[in-house]
Amino acid sequence: MTGRAELRINRDTGDAGTPKAFRHALAAFLSALAIEPPLRDDIIIAVGEAVANAVEHAYQTGDSGTVELHAVTDADDTLLVDVFDRGAFIDREVREGRGLGLRIVRAIARAVSIDTEGGTRIHMVFKTEPEPAADQKFG
Amino acid sequence: MSELESSLEVVRFAGELDISRRDEVTGALERAKAAPAILVDLSEVPYADSTVLAELLRFHAQAQANGRRIAVLIHSPQIARIMDYAGVSATFPVFDDRGAALTHLTGTNAT
Repeated sequence: MTGRAELRINRDTGDAGTPKAFRHALAAFLSALAIEPPLRDDIIIAVGEAVANAVEHAYQTGDSGTVELHAVTDADDTLLVDVFDRGAFIDREVREGRGLGLRIVRAIARAVSIDTEGGTRIHMVFKTEPEPAADQKFG
Repeated sequence: MSELESSLEVVRFAGELDISRRDEVTGALERAKAAPAILVDLSEVPYADSTVLAELLRFHAQAQANGRRIAVLIHSPQIARIMDYAGVSATFPVFDDRGAALTHLTGTNAT
C-alpha cells in the first residue's frame, strides 16, 4: 500500500441504520485499499463491535448522541481506527454480551486501547497485509 | 414445509443482524421458546454482531435448562468467524447443512 488514506464518519447513535452505515462505509474504504476478505471481514467485525458498543449507550439511556469513526493508514501496512462516543464506558461493560464484543475486538486487532476521558474512545490497530499461514509449507 | 419440519419451530432471519435488530431477534426467539425443538435459521444472514450472539447464548442456555433442543444454521463465513473470535463456537450446535441440523434436532435422518 502506498500513500495515506483516511476515512471519517460521524452519525447519530439513535439512528437504527448507524451500525450498518459504518460497516458499509468501512467496507468500501477497505476495498479501495485492496484489503480483501477474510482480512477485510475481520476488520469490519472488530470495528462493528466498537460501533455497537457506542450505540449500546443510546439504547440504554434513550439519549441520542454522536458516534465518530476515524480510520487512517499508517506505515508498515497498518491501519489505525478510532471509534469515539460520549457515553460512559462502564455502563456498557455491565450489560450482558458487551464483554463478548470487546473480546472479539481484542481477538482481531493487533492492539486495542480504551480511553474513557470525556466519553469512550476505542483505538484499534490492524495489519493490512494478511499474516502468512502458520501451517504453510514450502518445498 | 415438510412433515418433519412441522414438528419443529423454525425461527428464520434474513439480512444483516446487528444491535439495531436486537429486540426483533429477542422477540422471535421468545415466541419459539416453548417448542421442543427449535431451528434458528441464519442461512440468509450475512452478518451478525455480538449483541445477537449474546441473545443466542441466552436463548440456548434457557433452552437447555428447559430440556429443549436447538440448532443454529449458518452459511456465512463471517458469522462462523465471529463465533470463533468470541470463543463460543463449541457452545452452540452449529450447522452449515440444513439436513444435518434437522437430524440433530429430531434424531432422525432428514434426507
